[in-house]
Parts: sequence; structure tokens; C-alpha cells
Amino acid sequence: MNGRWTTADGAPLFGLLAEFEDVDALIEGAQKVRDAGYTKWDAHTPFPVHGLDDAMGIRHTKLSYLVFAAGVFGVFAGLGLQWWTNTVDYPLIISGKPFFALPANIPVLFEVMVLFAAAAAFVGMLAFNNLPLWYHSLFKSRRFLRATDDRFFISIEARDPKFDPRATRALLTSLRGAAVEEVEE
Amino acid sequence: MSRSTAEAVPALDERIRGEPLVAQGETLASVTETVCRIVEKPHPPRAWYVAFGISAMLAGLLFAMVGYLLLEGTGVWGINVPVGWGFDITNFVFWVGIGHAGTLISAILFLFRQKWRTSINRFAEAMTIFAVVCAGLFPAIHVGRAWVEYWMFPIPNNLSMWPNFRSPLLWDVFAVSTYMIVSLLFWYMGMIPDLATLRDRARTPLRRFFYGFFSLGWRGSNRQWHRYERAYLLLAALATPLVLSVHSVVSFDFAVSLVPGWHATIFPPYFVAGAIFGGFAMVLLLIVPSREWFGLKNLITMRHLENMTKIVLATGSMVGYAYLIEIFIAWYSGNAVERFAFSNRAFGPYAWAFWTMVSCNVLLPQLFWFKRLRRSIPAILFIAVAVNIGMWFERYVIIVTSLSRDFLPSSWGHFTPTWVDLCTLLGSFGLFFTLFLLFLRFLPIVAIAEVKSVMPDAKLDRDVHHGQGDYHGDIPRQHERQFGDPEAD
Amino acid sequence: MFLETLAGASFRIAGEIGALLLAGSALAGLLVEGAAPHFWRAYLVGFAYFLSLSLGALFFVLLQHLTRSAWSVVLRRLAEGIAANMGLLAILSVPLLLFGLRSLYPWADETLAAHDPLVRAKSAYLNVPFFWVRWAVYFAVWTLTARWFLNRSVEQDRSGDVDLTLRMERASAPAMVLFAFTTTFAAFDLLMSRDPHWYSTIYGIYFFAGGVLGFLALLVAAACVTQRAGRMQRMITAEHYHDLGKLLFAFTVFWAYIAFSQYMLIWYADIPEETGWYLKRQSETWAWVSLALLVGHFFVPFLALLSRVPKRRKKMLVQVALWILAMHAIDLYYLAVPDSGVPALPPHPFYFTVFLGMAGLSVAAAGRCFRTRSLVPEKDPRLQESIAFENA
Repeated sequence: MNGRWTTADGAPLFGLLAEFEDVDALIEGAQKVRDAGYTKWDAHTPFPVHGLDDAMGIRHTKLSYLVFAAGVFGVFAGLGLQWWTNTVDYPLIISGKPFFALPANIPVLFEVMVLFAAAAAFVGMLAFNNLPLWYHSLFKSRRFLRATDDRFFISIEARDPKFDPRATRALLTSLRGAAVEEVEE
Repeated sequence: MSRSTAEAVPALDERIRGEPLVAQGETLASVTETVCRIVEKPHPPRAWYVAFGISAMLAGLLFAMVGYLLLEGTGVWGINVPVGWGFDITNFVFWVGIGHAGTLISAILFLFRQKWRTSINRFAEAMTIFAVVCAGLFPAIHVGRAWVEYWMFPIPNNLSMWPNFRSPLLWDVFAVSTYMIVSLLFWYMGMIPDLATLRDRARTPLRRFFYGFFSLGWRGSNRQWHRYERAYLLLAALATPLVLSVHSVVSFDFAVSLVPGWHATIFPPYFVAGAIFGGFAMVLLLIVPSREWFGLKNLITMRHLENMTKIVLATGSMVGYAYLIEIFIAWYSGNAVERFAFSNRAFGPYAWAFWTMVSCNVLLPQLFWFKRLRRSIPAILFIAVAVNIGMWFERYVIIVTSLSRDFLPSSWGHFTPTWVDLCTLLGSFGLFFTLFLLFLRFLPIVAIAEVKSVMPDAKLDRDVHHGQGDYHGDIPRQHERQFGDPEAD
Repeated sequence: MFLETLAGASFRIAGEIGALLLAGSALAGLLVEGAAPHFWRAYLVGFAYFLSLSLGALFFVLLQHLTRSAWSVVLRRLAEGIAANMGLLAILSVPLLLFGLRSLYPWADETLAAHDPLVRAKSAYLNVPFFWVRWAVYFAVWTLTARWFLNRSVEQDRSGDVDLTLRMERASAPAMVLFAFTTTFAAFDLLMSRDPHWYSTIYGIYFFAGGVLGFLALLVAAACVTQRAGRMQRMITAEHYHDLGKLLFAFTVFWAYIAFSQYMLIWYADIPEETGWYLKRQSETWAWVSLALLVGHFFVPFLALLSRVPKRRKKMLVQVALWILAMHAIDLYYLAVPDSGVPALPPHPFYFTVFLGMAGLSVAAAGRCFRTRSLVPEKDPRLQESIAFENA
């Protein structure tokens, strides 16, 4: 399936990149690429464009579940830490409070929960996004430098099963306002 | 009912819609250019050098004072028995409070869909980090033997000893460290796309390496944006209760005790309101000169400043509410010691501090009821400075007046700061401003990607995002047709 | 047309049943030996409950104007209507103020007060005439504010004048200041002074938090009922329910935060003059009420509203809302009753009859309010934006 394609210069082909000037053209284009059945493709924008997730057909991320799980783990970790240190390993009589005094343990429990959940949100986001990834083929494109400035892009990778240099290029060229180029691996 | 009046309704005007968030004429590229230019210019404005020189000197003073303290011990401060907490804890609470506005702007206003936050949140988050750095210093040096600091963390050590989790001072350790870490994550995560922008514009290998390394290979992919936005929302949802908890925990340091004037149940929300109040004043103080120096007036418009002054007014009034309720309940309690604590604040030896606090925190911000003053730069600067002074004095009044008047008159005392106290306070401002000026020089000081996402180019009028308060398209007056037959008929 | 008549009739019937229940309870309280204190306690709980909901509504209306909110415009008239119930509450307060004080408040009994140094120390505040004056002021502020905002809003339905929106926005800020102080002192007066020895500076905020939470739950229920009656079906969307769900969640947490702050500080300091208040609420059957609040007022709604799904499904959300409304009633029972030294369980039948009586009257008042008024601010300049609103 994954035929190796090459660029005009004979270098291995990463995929095709189409550049758009505004959000509306990008969204229209994304809908068409989605409907054409591509899977290994992406849009690149300088800011999160609302409505693009639907236009690309991106499924909702599972990050929330991870964060919830980390929070629950934090609750038990926070509680367990305080219970074990203050009642089992090093009991101390302080201000007439019981060793395990739940109201006094809530602040630390809460902080530990937030710490774990927040760390999970950050690390989970990076992991799901496959970041850090300091090298990427798209960085070879001069045009692509503007993906973090004021241009919008759609990239379709050559490893997409539906990829065909001619047909895919034709699809991208047919999109309103698109400027298409090849990107080498 | 006749429909003919519908035509008489004027088109949705600026009074309803609000001024645009980004001044007319700005484009996506111009926003990138405006913000990145600040960092890319070979030399910052002269005022930056002057400010940096002064701040760095003061920061040096701080390190000298801390060194002196570590060598000599806490006796170099004015603290005594019974006033065991003096400038150190006052400064700690003051700086932690300053930090709260950052998280309020980045997290709470985000959850409330206040899109105007996008121009100022990066500033405010940076300010949070630096304020928490300053804050963390004080309890650390105040314990005296700073080299055994690690005893406060639950680390197995050679004494087989664990911290006492029932102590509010330990809650502080957890709250402030968690706050520091989460604020850093939030700040850094928000900056990744903007660092990528700087990377893509970089002309020198050093810049390309530095911004490239920290932008982690961000390429604006929408699949990444999707998870990124979810993570941002989750962090905001976590940071919101966190910010409330941090200053609440700080207030517990006082309120769990029996000390008159400290033991009040309103302390947690009252401290949180005060923290946001002081923090916003500090944001204003930092942002007004910055937008002047770095040409950011199109991104940080009068509307942003006015909104911030409104928050200052609102939180200042909440603080005023808390003062009044505290005084009323002190009387209402019928408890002689409580009543004395408050009359002593207002008329005792520290009355000057109390009235400074009331004037700066409650009375002066009331000037923001007037629109003219909300939009006047000198008035904003004046009140922002006043609020910072007032909020410092609030903590000073709470700590010193209550401690100096113990239950037994024989144990009464008086606190007078020493030169070391004063230099340490001054030095902490030096550290704060030094860090902040470095931030202004080397990092994207406005959240470029976020500002772009509320500009007309983002096409928010494309039928999603209605009703979020910053709709800049023309709203068709369809509703007359939609229910042509009024339900009242 | 048939629906209209049916709805109109059901409002009237609710009012009649309510009046009957209330009058019957009062009569029973008067005639049955020893029932009067029970009646007044039940009356206090019911009155505080409906007052807190209307105050929550008033807060909501003011807040929407203060923040120039667009998403909530379709819901605002319902809130204005609930806030306007203040008129009925003012009437309901009269018997309480005239005949109920001695039975409910130890400080209102002069002989008792004379022997209690603490009560004597605060008699400048806690005395019957000043109490009357304060309540006259509170109700003047609340009814005038609620009416003013309702009337301006209705006036806009006719004229479509955008200036009315701007006037309401300008008025909302000073109104909020008045609201904060009157609500706080009302909470001190009505509930905190039931035990004249005890005091807590956060008490006003606690009452406020519970009231806003209860109101939001009521708003969800009211929107749902209105839509079931065939009104505003295309206007109130899942997006609005989603936002209300978020607010319910936020105020559930806020209430818990305030409740925990008060509890923890008093528990930790452990001063006898303060802990007594909690001791009463943790002894015997009251302990079950305290636990019910901890679980039912916080954990259940917290977990139920955590995910996005139940906030967007009307049927699920309304169940949570009704649960919260019930918990809010238990909260007021917990605040108002234990100071009399009566057991929590089983509650006296008056609590149900008086509560339902006031509920019936409130429903009738709402029917009256909307008989001639539209259910939405028809010409609010942000209405279209509100209808089209979507969560990002």
C-alpha cells in the first residue's frame, strides 16, 4: 500500500502542502479533504481555528479522562501520605487534634490532587501530541514558516493509503485559494 | 402588538457591542510583527536600561540582606516577642497576593469567556511567577535555619521525621509550591505557540536554537491545537480552585489561631478578593508603561485598561465589605478582646497604618466609578500605586496590630522595622522588576496566538461563538421574525 | 389556546392550595397545644428558602447586566420573574415580624435578654423595633430593585429602546453594592441571630452561596417546565443548559468552599463560644443532617456535574437541579432549626405543609407575573446573539 513516492528532484516525498490565505478557504478545503477520505493529513494554523475540528472530523480527545484519573490518584496519594506519615510512621500530638484529622488534611489533599491533575494535563497533552519533536519534514518548507504567522495550511502525507501524487495534487489545487507544493521527507 | 417599532431600533452599536479588542487596521501579520519586534530588536528602549539598572541593583541589595540574615540570624530584623511575624510574613502575603491576578486573568477570565484577557494574560502570568518567586523567599528565610528547609517537604530523612500535616504552615508549603508549578506549566504551555512564531522568524542560530528548543517542535497542527486547547481548558479549570485555595490557605495561617483580629471565618474569601485586587493593581502598574514603551497600544487598548479598573473597583469594594463586616461582627460578638482588637487597629498605635490601608484600598478605588478616571492614564497609575501600598499595609495591619496586643497587657509589645527589614522589602521589588524586565526583553509579552483568535480574521462570526460577548460582525435582527407572534399575546 | 387556559388555571389552583395549606397550618399552630413554636420554625425555614431563591435571582439579573452578558438573555426574564416574587415575600414577612419573633429569637424576649450579658451587649442591634426597621429597609431595597429591573426590561419589549439596556447596566453596579449589604445583614438577622451568642463573619456569604445555587437549580427547572409547556422551545438550547450546568457546578463548589472555610476555622480553633453551634449540629439526629449535607449538597452534585454530558442533557440536568433544590431546603433546616434544641428527625409535618403552602403561593405569583408579560426580553439588543449562542 504505502508506495514510496518521490519529489520532482528524486528525493523521498513527505507529502503535499497547500497554503491558504484565510480561515474560510481553509475550512472549506478541510471539509473536502475529509470527505475525500484521507486520514494522514493535518491543518496548520497560527491560532486555534474554531469549527476546524468539525471540518476535519477530529474525534474528541481523551485527555479529560487522563486528568480525572490523575486527580483521583492525587486524592488518594494526598490522603495516604498524610495518614501514613502522621498516624503510623511518626505520630505526633499537636494542638489536641487527632493524628488523622480530616478537616486539617483537606488543604494538602486538595493541593496534591491539583498538582497531579495539572501535571497530567500538561504531560498528557505533550504525549498525545507527540511533542517534543524537534525535527519535522514540514520545517523544510520555506512557506511553512508562515504557519505560525498569518497563513493556513493543509498537509497530506505520502503514507496516507489514499495518497496518489497526481490525484492528491489535483484535489488540493482544486481547493479555493490554495497554493500547492511538494515537501520532501 | 405592532411590529413597526422594530425599524426604529438602531443598529447594534458600539455601546452594546463594546469597542473592538484589537484596534482597527491590525492584521494577523501586524500582530506577529508588533509583538515579535520587541524581542528581535537589537536594543530595547533607553527606559528599559534605566529600569533594569535600578532593579538589578535593588535585587543585589536583596541578596546582600539575605546573606547578612543567614550569617547573623533573624535578630537583625525588628521582630520580637510578641511580634514574631513582622515584615517577612507581611511581604510573603503581599507577594503571594500579587501573584493571584495572573491566574485570575489566565484561568478564571478564560472560563468566563472574557476574551479581552488575551492581550494581557501573558503579562499577568509572568507577573504571577515572579511574584511567587519573591513570596517563596520570605517564609524560607524567616524560618531562620534556611539550610534545613527540606524538613518541610515529605522527604525521608536521616532523622526519620515527617512534617506535621495538621499545621497550616505546612499547608502553605504545599499550596505555594503547587501554585508555582501549575502557574509555570500554564505560562509555559501558553507560550509554546508563540515561541514557535519567534523560532520561525529567527535570524540568528542562537535564537533559532533557543526558541526552537523551547517551542518543542510546535507546528500549529490542528490535531495538536485540539488537544492543546483541551489541556488549556483543563488547566484553567484546575487553576481556578487552586488560586482560591492558595490565598485561602495563606489566610488559614492566621484564621485557625485564637489571636483576636485573626480568627475570623470570612478570612479565606476576603484574602482571595484582596489578593486579586492587589494583583490587578500591579498588572496595571506594569502594563501601562510597557504598552507605552513597546508600542502595544493597538493590542492593549483603553478598553483593556478600563476593564481592569472595573475589576479593581469590584474587588476593592469586596475588600471594603470584608473590613466592614469584620468590624461589625467584632462588635456584635460581644467579646471584649475582639472589640478591643479592632478599636486598637483604628485608634491604637498603628492607627496611621490602618487609615492608610482604608484610604488606599477602599476609598481611592471608588474613584473608578467615574468613566473619565477609568480611562485616564495618570489616574490609573495613581490608584494602582495607592492600592499596592494599601494592600501591603493591610497585611502589616493584620499581622502587627494583632500580635503586638496579646491577651495579657503585660505581654504587649511594639514592632519597629530595622534597616534590614526595609532594605529587604525594597530588594524584593528589585528582584521582581528585574525578572519582569528580562521577561519583557526575551519572551513574547503578548499571547500572539490568542490575540489572533479574537481578531476579525478568525471569523468568529461564522455562526459558532455567538453570544460570547465579543462578536464583531453585524447581528441580523432576525428575532423579530423568529417569533413574530409575541408570546405575551 | 387550551394549554394557555390550562396553565392559567393550574397557577390559580396552586395559589389556592398554597393559601389553604398555609392558613391551615397557621390555624393548627394556633389551636393545637404547643404547636406554635413548630409552626414558626417551619415558617422561618420556608420563608428563608424562598427569600434566598429570589435573592439569588436578583443577584443573577444584576450580574448579567453588570457583565453585559449576552448568552443569558433568553433566560433573564425568568430570573426577573423569580426576583419579582419579592413582593409576595414582603407580605409573607409581616406575620413573622409581628408574631413570630418572640418564639424564634431569644433576644426578642426582654426578660431573658436582661439576664444574659452577651445578649445585653448587642441589644443595640438585636432588638425588636430596630429589627422591624431593618426588614423594612431590606424589603424596600429588594422589591424596588427587582421591580425596577423587571419594569425596564418589559418596557424594552414594547419600545425596543437600546438606552434601556444601557440604563440597566449602569444601575446594576450600585444595586449590587446594596444587594451585598442587605443580603448579608438579612442573613445575620434571620438565621444567625437564632443563636444570639454565636457569630461568624462568613455567614452572609454562606447564605448567599446557597441562595444563588438554589436559584440556578430553580432556573433550570423553570426553563424546563416552560419548554415542556411548549414555550421558548427553539430559544433555550442545550447550550444554555450547558452554561447553567457549569454555573451550578461552580456554585456547588463555591458553597462547599465557604462551608468548609467556616467549619474548618471553627473546628481548628476550637473556642467554646463558637464550636457550640457546630456541636448542636453534630449531636444526635442532627449529625445525620450534617452528613446528608456533606454528601448530598456537595459530593453528589459535584460528581454528577463534573462531566460535560449531564450538563447538556436537559433531563439529566433537571434531575440534578431538583436534587439541589431539595438539598438547599435541608441546608436551611440545618441552619435555622437546631438552635431550638429540637431533634432533627422526624421533622414536624409543618415543615412540609408550610413549605408547600409558600411554594403554591410563589407559583401563583409567577403565573400572575407572566400573565401579561413576555417570557423573553423580546427586543433586547443581545437577544439574537443569545439564541444563537454556542459553547466553544
